[in-house]
Amino acid sequence: MDSTSVVDVGRPAIRRTLSLSRSLRGGLKGGEYTWAVAFVVPYIAVFIAFVAYPVVYGLWMGSEARLYQELFADPIYQSTVVNTVLYLALGVNVKMFLALLLSGFFMRPGLWMKALLLIFVLPWAVPQISTFISIHWMLNGEWGFLNNVLYTLFHVEGASWLNDRWTALGAVIVSHIWKWTPFWTLILLAGRMAIPLEIRDSARVDGATGLRGFVHITFPLLANLYLICTLLSTIFLLGDFNAVTFVSGGGPANSTHVLATLGIRNAFEIAQPRLGVAAVMSALPLVIPLVIVLMRKLRTSEVQI
Amino acid sequence: MAYLTRRSVLRGALALAATRPFVGPHIAKAAATTASAWFAQGFVQDEDVALRKAVAEYEKASGNKIELSIIPFAPHRQKLISAITSGVVPDVTQGNPNEILQLFAWQDRWVDVSDVVETQKAEFSETALQAAQAYNSVTKKRAVYGVPLRAAVVPCHVWRPLVEKAGLKIEDLPKTWDAYFDFFKKVQDNLRKQGERKVYGLGFQVTANGVDPANLFNAFLIAHGGQDIVTKDGKLHLDDPKVKQAAIKAAGYLGGAYRDGYVPPSAINWNDADDNNAFHAKLMVMDVDGTLSTEVAVKEKHPEWYQNDIVSQGIGYPNDNAGKPVPSIVGVTQGLIPKGAKNVTVAKEFLKYFIQPKVIGEFIELGLGRWLPVMPSLAKSAFWQNPKDPHLRGYVQQGLLGPTRPDYYVFNPAMAEVYSQHVWSLAMIDVAKDGVKPEAAIDKAFKRIEEIFAKYKMA
Repeated sequence: MDSTSVVDVGRPAIRRTLSLSRSLRGGLKGGEYTWAVAFVVPYIAVFIAFVAYPVVYGLWMGSEARLYQELFADPIYQSTVVNTVLYLALGVNVKMFLALLLSGFFMRPGLWMKALLLIFVLPWAVPQISTFISIHWMLNGEWGFLNNVLYTLFHVEGASWLNDRWTALGAVIVSHIWKWTPFWTLILLAGRMAIPLEIRDSARVDGATGLRGFVHITFPLLANLYLICTLLSTIFLLGDFNAVTFVSGGGPANSTHVLATLGIRNAFEIAQPRLGVAAVMSALPLVIPLVIVLMRKLRTSEVQI
Repeated sequence: MAYLTRRSVLRGALALAATRPFVGPHIAKAAATTASAWFAQGFVQDEDVALRKAVAEYEKASGNKIELSIIPFAPHRQKLISAITSGVVPDVTQGNPNEILQLFAWQDRWVDVSDVVETQKAEFSETALQAAQAYNSVTKKRAVYGVPLRAAVVPCHVWRPLVEKAGLKIEDLPKTWDAYFDFFKKVQDNLRKQGERKVYGLGFQVTANGVDPANLFNAFLIAHGGQDIVTKDGKLHLDDPKVKQAAIKAAGYLGGAYRDGYVPPSAINWNDADDNNAFHAKLMVMDVDGTLSTEVAVKEKHPEWYQNDIVSQGIGYPNDNAGKPVPSIVGVTQGLIPKGAKNVTVAKEFLKYFIQPKVIGEFIELGLGRWLPVMPSLAKSAFWQNPKDPHLRGYVQQGLLGPTRPDYYVFNPAMAEVYSQHVWSLAMIDVAKDGVKPEAAIDKAFKRIEEIFAKYKMA
C-alpha cells in the first residue's frame, strides 16, 4: 500500500514539503541521513580549509585594479609574460612529443629494454632542486663542467651560458624537459600498453605497420590521453618555480623570470605580497580555459584509452 | 540495527567535547608572561648559541618565557612578510632584511619602541639611532620603530698572494678611489701575462640578485660625490648635477670594469653568496662585500687565509678622488615588535634586557665578529682591539668609529624598493653587457627611481 497517497489527500501542502525535504536528503531517511552528513562533513571542512579558503583569499589579495596597473608598468613583467609563453610552448610540447616517441621505443620487448627504462627514469626520480643546482653549476662560465670539458677536449672557451637571456632561458627549458620527460613517457607507455593486442594484430594483418600503424591506430587511440597529459603538464608548468629559480635564478638582470618566480620575487624580495599574488593571478585567463577544456575531455563518453 | 538520530549525534558530540581536554594534544595557552620571538639563523653556530644563552638568562632573570624560533635567513624573511600580511605575528622579531623596518612602518605595522631605545640612548651611535626611525604614512610622522641590535658595513677583501704573484705589494695600494680599484686591473694584467687564465682583478657584483649590488653602487655613488641623492627629509635629488654625475661615474666604472673583462663574467648572475664562493676559489683578487663573512667563513678551516692571506685590516675604503674620507653606509639590524603582537610588554622587556651593553656585546662577539656592535663603547673591548687579529680593528673602525651614515631607505622607504627592484643593477648591466652609455643607463634608472618615489609621498 502506498501510504503517501493518504497523506496526499488529507494534507497536500505538508506532503510537498516532505517531498522536497526527502529529495534534498537524496532519499535517505533518519539515521542514514545523519550518518551520511557525519561522513561528508570532514571532507567539506577540509575542502573549505585547504581549497576554497586559499583560493578565495588569493582572489581577495589580488583583487585591486591598482595592483595590475603597477604590475603592467613593471618593465620586467612584459619579458616575464614572453618567457612564460615560451616556457610553456616549448617546455610542454617538446617534452610531450619526446615522451610519445620514447614510449613507443620502450614498448620493445626484452630485459635490456627494462633495464634501460630504469636508467631513463632516474632524472625524474632524483630530487629536482639538487639536480637543477647541479645544472646551474655545470653551466657556470668560469669553472663549470661544460666549459671545462670544451676547453680540455677542444681548447674552446665556452660561452657564459647563464649570462644571456636566451641561452639561460634555453637552459631552463632543457632542464625541465630532461627532468620531466621520463614521467610523461611512463604515462604514455601505460596508455600504449592498454591498447588491446587484437586491435594492433588485426591492423598489422591489414598492412598497418610501422609509421602507418602509429598514424592510423596508435595515435588516434592515444590522442585523448596525449591531450589530457599536455593540458595537465601545462597547468603544472604554469606554477613551476624550481627550474627557473635554481637554474637561471631569473637572471641575468631579471630577464628569465616566469610568472611563478616573478610572483615570489614581488611577494618576498620586494615585500609586496599582493603584487606577488597579482603576478600569479594574471595567468588566470590562460589557466581557466585550460581547466575547462581538461574537464570536458575528462568527461568524454567516447571509448578512448 | 540502531540508527543514528540527530539527538544521538548531538549527545555523542557533547561527550566528545567533554573528553577533549583529556585526550587531545596539549596546546599551551599563551600566558601573560610568554612572548614569541623570531630570529634568523646565524652564519656560524656560535651566533645561535649566544642568542639562546641571552634568552635563557633573560628568562631566569625575569621569570618570563620567550618562545624562541631560530629560522634560516631566507625563510625567516618570507615568514615575517607572510606574518605581517596575514596578521598572525610574533611578539618580537629581528628585521630581515633591515629595510623591512621602513617598508612596513610606512604601512603602520610596527609598535613604537622609543621607550626601549631610550634606556640605552646614550650608548647607541648616532647612525644607529637614525636607522631606528621610520616614517609612518598613516600617522604622517617619523617615530622610533626599531631597536638597534647590530650592524654591518661593506669592507674590501683582498688576496695578498695574488697581489704578490702579480709582482706587486699590498702596501702599494693607492689611497684614492679610482686609483685604488685600477690597481687591481694592473694585478689582473700581470697575472694574465703569467698564464693565469681565470683570475679577475675585481669582484664587482654587477648582478640583479640580492643586496650586494646596491651596496656596491652606493659606495661608488658616495665616493664620487652623490651622497645627497636622498636627504634626511626623505626628498629625492635626482636633479642635483653632482648626484647625476656621481651616478654616471659609478655606473660607468662598475659596468665598464665588467665590459673590459676585469670582473668574472658570471658576476652578472651572482647571488649574495656567489661572490664569497668565487673569492674563496681565488677567481678574483678582490671583493667588495658586506660584513666579515668572507674572513669568518674560513677562520677555522684555513687559519692561514684568515691570519695572512686575506687582507682587510686598515684598508676600509680608500679616500675619494680628492683625498677626502668616504663614509661607509651602515646597515643596522633592528629588533621589531609587530602591531598585533599579543604580549608587547614582555617583548619590550626582553628587548630592553637584550640591548644592555654587556648582553648585546657578548652576543655579537660570540658571532666571531661578523656583525658590528652599534655602541661605540663596545668597540673598546679586548675582542675588537685584539692586536693579533688582522681584521677586527679595521672592521670596527670602518663601521663604527670612522665616518658612517645610515642607508637611504632610512630617510625614505622608496629607496628600499629601488634596491629590491635592482634599479642600480640594471644600470650597471646596461653598461656592462649591452654597451649602453653610462649617461643613458642612468637616465633610464632615474626615470624608474622617480616612478618608485612617486608611490611614497611624504607629508
